[in-house]
Amino acid sequence: MKKTLLATGLTMLMATSPMMATSAMAQEIGATFSRFDDNWLTVLRNGMEEYAGTIDGLSYQQEDATDDLAKQIDQVKNFVAQGVDAIIVNIVDTSAGAAVSAAAGDVPLVYVNREPDNVNELPPTQAFVASNEIESGTLSAFEVCKNLRAAGLGNGARGYLMNGQLSNQAAVQRSKDVYDVIGMDMCNFMEIIDEQTANWSRDEAQDLMTNWMSSGEPFDFVLANNDEMAIGAIQAMKANGMDMADVQVGGVDASQDALLAMAAGDYDVTVFQDSVGQGTGSIDAALKLIAGEDVDQKVYIPFVLVTPANMGDFLDKN
Amino acid sequence: MADTSHGTGGLTFDKSKRSWPNELNILLALVIIIAIFEIIGQVAPYMNGQSFLFDTKDRFDSIFNEARLQIIILQVAIIGIIALGVTQVIITAGIDLSSGPLVAATAMIAMSFGQTELVNGFPNPKALFGTWAMDLPVIVPVVIGLAFGACIGAINGTFIAYFRIPPFIATLGMFLICRGIALWWSGGNPISFPTESYAWIGSGMMPVVWFIILAIIFQLIMSYTVYGKHTYAIGSNEEAARMSGINVRRHKVMVYTIAAMLAAFAGIVLSSKAVTAQAGMGEFYELFAIAMAVIGGISLQGGRGSIIGTVLGAMVLGVIRSGFTYIKLDGSYQLMAMGGIIIAAVILDQYRQRNKA
Repeated sequence: MKKTLLATGLTMLMATSPMMATSAMAQEIGATFSRFDDNWLTVLRNGMEEYAGTIDGLSYQQEDATDDLAKQIDQVKNFVAQGVDAIIVNIVDTSAGAAVSAAAGDVPLVYVNREPDNVNELPPTQAFVASNEIESGTLSAFEVCKNLRAAGLGNGARGYLMNGQLSNQAAVQRSKDVYDVIGMDMCNFMEIIDEQTANWSRDEAQDLMTNWMSSGEPFDFVLANNDEMAIGAIQAMKANGMDMADVQVGGVDASQDALLAMAAGDYDVTVFQDSVGQGTGSIDAALKLIAGEDVDQKVYIPFVLVTPANMGDFLDKN
Repeated sequence: MADTSHGTGGLTFDKSKRSWPNELNILLALVIIIAIFEIIGQVAPYMNGQSFLFDTKDRFDSIFNEARLQIIILQVAIIGIIALGVTQVIITAGIDLSSGPLVAATAMIAMSFGQTELVNGFPNPKALFGTWAMDLPVIVPVVIGLAFGACIGAINGTFIAYFRIPPFIATLGMFLICRGIALWWSGGNPISFPTESYAWIGSGMMPVVWFIILAIIFQLIMSYTVYGKHTYAIGSNEEAARMSGINVRRHKVMVYTIAAMLAAFAGIVLSSKAVTAQAGMGEFYELFAIAMAVIGGISLQGGRGSIIGTVLGAMVLGVIRSGFTYIKLDGSYQLMAMGGIIIAAVILDQYRQRNKA
């Protein structure tokens, strides 16, 4: 990283005109992420930093928007003022695509991981690389539905739903996916006893699950918007002496912690989101936009369902 | 019950005008809140006549729903440990905003020395350091964590007492610094899979055990030791305390250091309970700790309040949180209601003070 910066600096110094600085020798990409302390985004972020380090003459810088849209737009404007060649945005609020796109002006911009609402009206200097959030919650809930049927609960199964942060689009979408799955004829035997937020967090999920269990109501499944909350629920159920073979637990992320819980036989269903595919895809798209080449403006990297049957393929991925 | 005659702005306080100790009022509020949930459970048609506190399904030996009693206190125990320290800080008329991020930073730091090398036969995927930091005796991460907390607290106290920076600003700065440390320590990656002995610290009802032990210790310290008397004296009237020969500055550093060590310990317990340490942990913990103290009848002007009050304040928050889940109230309403209850608690308390004092 230091070397790259040094190289960039030297190239800039040697450049006889300002135009030279933007030549293929020294490119500068600025990236802003909605949160630095989000587990999955950290995997994405570190992967991107590593990949950027392997590209000669690329200087790469990332900032934390701390879930604040106004701050993120300011960061984009700062990047523009600083004269970066391209900007990568992991947008805080997917309904604010127009504002972020406008802030970038003519500077090439790539959205990563989250789909902005203006994805179909992006100017030619902008692109989008992500997974389709509708898939994640649907894959997870549908697999749980199938497992419940296979366990002979096709006449009626009751369970709980744990939401991520209520202000987060992915959380809202993933919970909606659950209800969409339950709305299907094949899965309408599933009933949600209650849904509450545990703010993506494992310890809050532990407490929430323990609260639910204290009512003594029998249940057959727990669906969570992410792995962390699913793991928290599992820990609480095990602490309460439940046999994890009797409960179907579904989440999203396929994090290392989750896969090990799956290996131990506690966790049933999760969904893999390809951080490497999204990260390298977005940087490649940004480089192409800088070079003025044609890019695919909408790239969807598929989610993959992970169950004990195929979990071995994902153990060193996220 | 310990003597509660200390504080309350010195002369204005007259114990004989008090009908009963403040703590009894909070206990009363607690009973009322539980009764409200109990009634909703009986009346609301969707609740199917469930009981909040009592065992209606014959699942336990006693008449109570023991699972509910446990979770009520378990879910506030960790923030409660922080609140024990915040209580002392507020009694000196200070404030500590840095405790939530300090919980996260300590969790990260302590956990990185408490990891185990093999997880179900797989190498630990979240290993931060090499094998030299793996499977260390549990005392190592605990001491490192507490030492880190002590440093942060001593810095807080030094800035407040010797550089005369208002506590709000000094600890706000430390709030950001600690969040930064938590993120920087592992670059935002979670640190998971501790040794068995580290995982024991926060397992099962252990957070409650720590909370109760620490609460008893600090209630005794605040009531019967010079440390306690000086803390109240400084909060009641700092100038008078100085005149009477108390080393106010040194004492303040001590109070902030103890408070930060309690928050650091809470971070260790939290990471052990969750079996993972993450940079985003402990969000809003500092505010809930302050809320517990305030509901427990502590005056932000300093000099008044007790550890027992804070424990009861914690219980109130625990009952509310459990009760809201019990009546299946949506998360957004929960926040609004909790905010309302905190404000109501202070209004009631002030009203009572005016009439009594």
